[in-house]
Amino acid sequence: MEQGITRREAIKRLAKLGGAAALTVGFYGTLYGREAKVDPEPVVPATADFRVKGASNKVVVVEGVGQTSAETLVKEALSRLGGMEKFIARGDVVALKLNVSWDRSAELAANTNPEVAAAVAGLCLDAGAARVNFVDNTINAAERTFRNSGLEAAAVRSGAQVIYPSARLFKTMSLGGRRLNQWEVYTPVIEADKLINLPVAKHHGLTRLTLGMKNWIGAVGGNRGALHQDIHQSIVDLTRFFQPTLTIIDAVRIMVGNGPSGGRLADVVVKNTIIAGTDQVVVDAAALPLFDMYPDEIGYLMLAENQGLGRIEPEPGQLVEVQV
Amino acid sequence: MKFLGAKERWGWRGWRRVSQVFFLVFFIYLAARAQVPRGFNQYLFDLAARGQDLRLPAPVTFFFDLDPLVGLGTMISTWTLKPALILSLAVLLGVLVMGRFFCGFVCPFGALNHFFTQKPRRKNRAEKAGLNRPGPDRRVKYYLLLLFLLAALLGSNQTGLLDPISFLFRSLTLAVFPALGFLSDGAMSLIAQAPKPFDLVGFVGPYVLDPVFGFGLRAYQGAFIFGGLFVFILALNRIRPRYFCRVLCPLGALLGFFSRYAVLNLTKDQELCTDCGLCRVDCQGACGPHPDEPWLRSECHLCFNCQAACPTGALKFKFQFSRPGPEPSPLPAQDAPDLRRRAVLASLAGGAALVGFGRVSLAAPARPEPALVRPPGSLAEDEFLERCVRCGLCLKVCPTNVLVPTLTEAGWEGVWTPRLDFNLGYCEYSCTLCSSVCPTGAIREINAREKNETPIVIGSAFIDRGRCLPWSGQGPCLVCEEVCPTSPKAIYLVSQEVWVEPNKTERLPVPQVNLSGCVGCGVCSYKCPVKGRPAVYVSSVGETRSAVNRILLPE
Repeated sequence: MEQGITRREAIKRLAKLGGAAALTVGFYGTLYGREAKVDPEPVVPATADFRVKGASNKVVVVEGVGQTSAETLVKEALSRLGGMEKFIARGDVVALKLNVSWDRSAELAANTNPEVAAAVAGLCLDAGAARVNFVDNTINAAERTFRNSGLEAAAVRSGAQVIYPSARLFKTMSLGGRRLNQWEVYTPVIEADKLINLPVAKHHGLTRLTLGMKNWIGAVGGNRGALHQDIHQSIVDLTRFFQPTLTIIDAVRIMVGNGPSGGRLADVVVKNTIIAGTDQVVVDAAALPLFDMYPDEIGYLMLAENQGLGRIEPEPGQLVEVQV
Repeated sequence: MKFLGAKERWGWRGWRRVSQVFFLVFFIYLAARAQVPRGFNQYLFDLAARGQDLRLPAPVTFFFDLDPLVGLGTMISTWTLKPALILSLAVLLGVLVMGRFFCGFVCPFGALNHFFTQKPRRKNRAEKAGLNRPGPDRRVKYYLLLLFLLAALLGSNQTGLLDPISFLFRSLTLAVFPALGFLSDGAMSLIAQAPKPFDLVGFVGPYVLDPVFGFGLRAYQGAFIFGGLFVFILALNRIRPRYFCRVLCPLGALLGFFSRYAVLNLTKDQELCTDCGLCRVDCQGACGPHPDEPWLRSECHLCFNCQAACPTGALKFKFQFSRPGPEPSPLPAQDAPDLRRRAVLASLAGGAALVGFGRVSLAAPARPEPALVRPPGSLAEDEFLERCVRCGLCLKVCPTNVLVPTLTEAGWEGVWTPRLDFNLGYCEYSCTLCSSVCPTGAIREINAREKNETPIVIGSAFIDRGRCLPWSGQGPCLVCEEVCPTSPKAIYLVSQEVWVEPNKTERLPVPQVNLSGCVGCGVCSYKCPVKGRPAVYVSSVGETRSAVNRILLPE
């Protein structure tokens, strides 16, 4: 006689069948309506505005005569602005946006001077910063660039950290610019309490000069080469997005030709000068006399004034020129 | 010593295991150190740096220097002595005295294969022992070796295709590590979004994993093929233990020839043998340890498993300076590999055919290949192919990932040799790291001064005006000029009237290449905003290593 299945077995089988059906429906229901992602949702940053309230609007040009060290120049510039304590609070994480683009040694002036970078980092730490990060999205291979520029050693010497670029550190964000609406931002630049822009002043084939505002090209990722197609507006858009606590232009050695990469000592002139201030437009304009150039030769500077980022002509008493 | 699964006291087998683990770990360590380090590692790095020329502090060529096949292949293809020959001579000397100790004690690929033979639970002892009986396929490796050596003699060094050190290094560093790096990167990104404090793993993980798997995500043309081959070779161990070592390894064959006069003998005592068959169960070489068959000296890896397994002590390895007669074992050991005369002739003919067919396939020595841009310091193509063992060391150390293995760009003879792919990277202007690690001198060591001042030209850049933005009237660009590393720049700007609309022209700055200044580094091509097929591209023409692949009359 054939044995039928027990009631227990029947319930088990029914439960299994029901479970499988529920899983199928659930799985389908989860996926229903999902489509291929066309554009990643841009991250809207809380702010990229790192300015501190009540800071002096002075722009200080410190020129060293004779054998003044880079550290002395930086200290003098900051003391004229009221001291680093005015900008850096105790416990701050400070992002130092250097220009570390090229696999070149320091004397070729293709990157921010390591002495200057170490001095600024030292002042930040003295002012109570918890951590100073050297950040830049290098153009040449990062390990070699940080090392051969002397900036890795400068970081170790001054107690700062080097952040090396990697794919996971870029995020698409809304910049809200006229030309650049959404772009990949190098997050270590803005994941900080304070942001100091510390470029080197040098020649550039397309824009004539690269100074503070142009340095923000190194704070983004993506197909950066494409920015060249509307370079001046791109720079102005980035300048509106990145509002640093302070801009310090390193003009200890400047590159006057074959920029921005240079490569020969013949491209370099020693100026022993530091320019510092909070007004991004005036700081850049203050560097022009070093190159015997005028604002109307620099497209992005004119555009910045036209679009209301600041005035090229300093207010009376805003520009302070000192020699040490 | 229960934890090692040993029945006997600590002996030769124990030392063999320690040695295998040590050399495998050392191999992986050296493979991981074959890259430009970051952070505090730079202090070690500074010790090895000479001026601007970065050098790696770790002896990354150690295993290649040790490998007699790499030495011999280069020697007979070039009729020169390779650098660091002394280490491989030491290995050969050891083999002359002891037999194939390298296979059992040193070879990291042997150790890895050995590991993958472990514990197939489905099989009982008799089955396992059956897989370890000497088979006729053991001769294949000798035929392969003869084929490779004859090809090398005729100027085509193919030993690296199956040389175990090159095979393992290539597979690990160009396929396995990058793949694990890719997977772990994804995993770490996911974990970093986990709730605190678990997210910490995602932030700290990369600092531990990146130094091993490599900084940044790397890509290598054809990694799928040699990654797949690697998995396949390891899987073969499930069919027959150490299939690669027994059947395919040309280095094992070379050492097999040299083991002939070794004085370390396996003595078999017929009186004590109870015919239990345990000696065969874990025999690595399938070399006939049982007293009822002759011991094949050239096959024995000196794993010492038979001696350790023998319950009565009938099997013992002894140093004997005079060969024992028929007593106490009725079967004398077989000292030399028993090759078949016709098969030997066939493999020699195969080696000749390989070179012949390779050369008439219009391989690179005969026909300049525009896509074949070799690393700076590379010898002329025919000499390059005599030396390169496709180990992948230069590709691994390259800081920009521009170096990739060829598929057919260098002809069939040159498969997996290095070339520059400017979609992945570019040659860093003052970097000479690849030239400092080549174990066979296919890339001779150069320094930054020599590279930049000679200059060593690896190719030439050309503008594709149809794709170039300013040349085709799409607007300003000039990234190529910006990134050109020479001074004065080999890419310069000229003002040119171009059509921007059907009835309108405009003067735009457009790039021009000055070929007498271009070194072919390709940074212009890599950074060009026209991705995929850039508007400025580098072709191998103009390379200083070639006497014929030139454009300009030398000054």
